[in-house]
Amino acid sequence: MGKRQGIFNYFYLLPIIAIVLFLFLYPVAYAVYISFTNFSLFHFFQYSYIGFKNYINILTNPNFYFVELLKNTAIWTIGSLIPMMILGFFLALILNQSDLKFKNVFFSTFLIPWAFPAYISLLIWSGMWDYSYGIINKIIGLIGIAPVNWLNNTTYAWVALILTNVWLSFPYYTSIFLSALQSIPRELYEIAEVDGAGMLTRFGKITLPMMKSTLVFVGVSGFIFTWNNFYPVFILTGGGPGTSTDILIVYSYQEAFDYNQYALASAYSIISTIILAIMAVIMFRYSRILEGRG
Amino acid sequence: MQRVGNKRTLGKIIRLAISYLVLTVMAIISIFPIYYIVITSLNDIPSLASVSLGSLLPSKISLNAYYGILFQEPFFVWLRNSLIMALGTIIISVLVAFLTGAALSRLNVPGKKALIVFLYILTFLPSVATVIPLYVMFASLHLINTYYGLILAYSSGTSIFGAYLVKIFIDTIPPEYEEAAMVDGLSRFRAYIRVLLPMTKPIVAFIMLLAFLGAYTDYALANAFITSGNMWTLTLGMYYLAITNHSTLYNVFAAFSVIMGVPIMAIFIAFQKYIRNVYSLSGGK
Repeated sequence: MGKRQGIFNYFYLLPIIAIVLFLFLYPVAYAVYISFTNFSLFHFFQYSYIGFKNYINILTNPNFYFVELLKNTAIWTIGSLIPMMILGFFLALILNQSDLKFKNVFFSTFLIPWAFPAYISLLIWSGMWDYSYGIINKIIGLIGIAPVNWLNNTTYAWVALILTNVWLSFPYYTSIFLSALQSIPRELYEIAEVDGAGMLTRFGKITLPMMKSTLVFVGVSGFIFTWNNFYPVFILTGGGPGTSTDILIVYSYQEAFDYNQYALASAYSIISTIILAIMAVIMFRYSRILEGRG
Repeated sequence: MQRVGNKRTLGKIIRLAISYLVLTVMAIISIFPIYYIVITSLNDIPSLASVSLGSLLPSKISLNAYYGILFQEPFFVWLRNSLIMALGTIIISVLVAFLTGAALSRLNVPGKKALIVFLYILTFLPSVATVIPLYVMFASLHLINTYYGLILAYSSGTSIFGAYLVKIFIDTIPPEYEEAAMVDGLSRFRAYIRVLLPMTKPIVAFIMLLAFLGAYTDYALANAFITSGNMWTLTLGMYYLAITNHSTLYNVFAAFSVIMGVPIMAIFIAFQKYIRNVYSLSGGK
């Protein structure tokens, strides 16, 4: 195959190149462009270049919205990721015990939160967390706990958001970790047992090292996914009370479609993407998970 | 010796007892919200306020809410809109993903490695991040309130992720298959369609599911790109019933959730083994 043939082969890639250009690169470039203008509903047809003004506004806002949003995004991402991974890993370890019965029944039940469309589940959860009428307050009332105003108090709102997110996501983590655990050769454990290694030693010397690459990969991609996970915050609290649980991506969407401040919204989403990209590059570099791909 | 044995059996019993306890609690938590919504949909209680612990075990079953959603709300208009968008998304995603994946796996394309890594990184970009510029772009192209605009927006992410999956999958198929077909006189393109496409069926089915779900369960883009009521999708209708109107028609929302969500859940559980395989193929290692 000559070089000419190689160029001709791009014919097959034209559709994806068109998609990437028109639906990814152009919009991203456009977002960067409008973030330097005063584009909004009031300046929909006649907007002008205003330099870094939007960025300066965001970073020097006297209400420190940006600092709060960044802090909230970090709480949301790390606060969800750690319990999701721990629970997912723990359940995978339990399900991987060879003498456990009804494994498939339990496992299929755990898949339900993943299988049911998340958007609908979130609308259901928003009814369940309701202060006056929600079923959760009625259930905890059974053991004598007074109704909690879940979604209108910052601390409780975080608890509700993170618990809901853990419910939505743990099946994915359990499933990936379980398939990784099952690929560890059983002989390794048998040999270790003959050598007298206890449960903890086997876990530390065999399970953890064999799981390391999966844990790192799932952790990094889970971090990126959760950072950008729009619906839980949007549906459950809408960022409230106030902006106390708002995260960057949701705030940017609200700024655009509730307040019609498209330029400011673009600036927020660009800042969010830049921060995430820097962290992703650092994590990819450090963990080397992209090596050997492609 | 006897005592060591006893200690071991005791340890095993405790370990298994704790395991079953944790598994049972998690199973109940996993199933509860879905049970709650199914029961609410079968109950003759209109509003969220009338949901109580007693209504979790209803004494009689009513199908009024299902009648309400199917015949008193414009459910079939919403369903039609959702299905058109889902179908369009499936067609574009499958075609683009297959072509790209086959080319990246089999053909000698300059700059292939860089392109693959680039496409892989793009899959991390959320659609919500590009929604504002897409909105502006679609507004100037008159694609607001159309099926085309949303279908294009939904297809982009799935096509890219799908292309990546097709590529890894075709890498595992020996090239002799389509080479034999080409020796028999088929062109390269037709050999791909006739020989490779049928062999990638499991991945193509997965991309179809993903494309369907992306369009069928999206709210953020539909909310931004649709302003007229006759173009509403199921998710827009559902948001209206669940959030805007939950004080009057909560059981109708519940019936809606069941009709819209349970078929998806059933498909997912039925093909779980296969779906999990694809996910571990794409990232487990």
